[in-house]
Amino acid sequence: MVMNDPLRREEKKDPTPDRKESGPSSPNVERPGRDDILKRMKRVDPKQSENYKQRTGQ
Amino acid sequence: MSLRVPLLGIETEYGIIRDDVDNYDVVEESIRLVRCCEMKSEFGNWAYSRERSHQDMRGFNVPSLAQDEEEDAFCVEDRKRPYSYWEMKSDRVLENGARFYNDHTHPEYSTPECSSIFQLVAHDLAGERIVFECARLRNLEDKPGRICIFKNNTDYIGHSYGTHDNYLISRRLPFEHWVERLVPFLVTRQLYAGAGKVGSELQGDNCFSGLQLAQRSDFIETVLSIETMTQRPIINTRDEPHATQDKYRRLHLILGDANMSPYATALKVGTTQLILTLIDEDKLKLLVDLENPVKDIKDISRDQTGTIALKRTNGKTITSLELQEFYLDAVDKNLSGQCKEWDWVIREWARTLDELKHHPEKLADRIDWAIKKDIFTRFIDSEGVSWDDPWLKSLDLEYHNLDPERGLYRGLEQTGGIYSMFSESEVQLAIKKPPEDTRALIRGLAVTYGMDKIKNIHWTGIEFKDGNFIDLSQVVTSTDVEHLINSKKEQFSWL
Repeated sequence: MVMNDPLRREEKKDPTPDRKESGPSSPNVERPGRDDILKRMKRVDPKQSENYKQRTGQ
Repeated sequence: MSLRVPLLGIETEYGIIRDDVDNYDVVEESIRLVRCCEMKSEFGNWAYSRERSHQDMRGFNVPSLAQDEEEDAFCVEDRKRPYSYWEMKSDRVLENGARFYNDHTHPEYSTPECSSIFQLVAHDLAGERIVFECARLRNLEDKPGRICIFKNNTDYIGHSYGTHDNYLISRRLPFEHWVERLVPFLVTRQLYAGAGKVGSELQGDNCFSGLQLAQRSDFIETVLSIETMTQRPIINTRDEPHATQDKYRRLHLILGDANMSPYATALKVGTTQLILTLIDEDKLKLLVDLENPVKDIKDISRDQTGTIALKRTNGKTITSLELQEFYLDAVDKNLSGQCKEWDWVIREWARTLDELKHHPEKLADRIDWAIKKDIFTRFIDSEGVSWDDPWLKSLDLEYHNLDPERGLYRGLEQTGGIYSMFSESEVQLAIKKPPEDTRALIRGLAVTYGMDKIKNIHWTGIEFKDGNFIDLSQVVTSTDVEHLINSKKEQFSWL
């Protein structure tokens, strides 16, 4: 199978930060789309996990 | 293709429920789901006679594999079902070379053998699509409720099911040589490979409230074991290479999580392949022995900072982050610049450890546990609930739901803001086509063009009704694949 290389998309991204320049900074918590996921989370049945029973696998 | 670790594969057991129905038979549902598959496939002819699951790497055979008492009781009931063993398994070998079947009580998708990390991740994603498509088809039937599929590893009340990553490695080195160098790496890779879990199934001192890094760490009970359903180990000792026995081992790792993030899957299998390469080349000189890795794997899972002190056998301590940095440094020094894919792994591994140390919030676009931390924290702030609220476990479960209309990870994929590695067309290609440079190509071609002629089929070979047999046990490299096709194409017109 000829697989397109995911690396090509990565080349468009910002360069990897220099590890020496890393250091504590103010968290950047801006994440577009996460408000939408909040709406989806609110629709989850709070008891969903209590009804979820599986048999042991490997 | 890596010469040291030429083949890779992932087996995933999926969780399955019929939603909004109180009494349903999960075994029946798993069987029916696999039977819904409409892909071209060889059905019901898996060659179980070629399996060797009772041989142990440590040089002995076990008479049987164990399971707990509850599962013993379930199996007694299973034997009363109106199905033979083969009918229950409902094995399919698909046109892309993968295996898809009912493993006990879970739909399991085993990727075809892959030669590279990105190829493997694409096939893991193909598995998600194939299993969900079966659920969609099953839901078209006139039945109460709705089948839901979860790519996770726990039901939060003590039952776990696995996601196993597999690596073909050389038999040249003693098994102990691999073990002592691998264990510290494996127990700490959850820093980026953990899928995240709300709460804990363990009691007493190990009870935990909040978000763990990994789903599976609670279930690891020993360093080495051939078992997979009880006494689960850091390294499984099943000696079943699915290749020439005297040349190869298959490292069968059962401690890992089912990642929704393809980036996390790529980092998990990529870093592991690099460490195995380093060990095979005998370039991992300095050993870091942990005093109690089974305890450590649970402690690490409960520490989101990577700074918990782990006891070493020499009396000193080391943190999980330091351990990963030790392995990264050795890989960086010895394996950089050899191929683009490995360089991607090294670069992203460094970036991830660096961000974990300095900007952990930045991991929330690609590391599953960190994504959960971000979105669940927003939910807690919004709704005024605590990490102990059962709602959080329900959110945790729904993160892994494969349904695009319900799953939380699926929702994040739709809204953006998470790291995407493949286009949908690339995943669709992996659904239809096997890797072209591994023996999966032969298997896929046989299923596609020679299906009515197959008597039985396995990772290691294909037996035909006319008595002919294609031995795949020695077909490891792309050159082997090419040689086999050239030598057999007159005999098998479909090659």
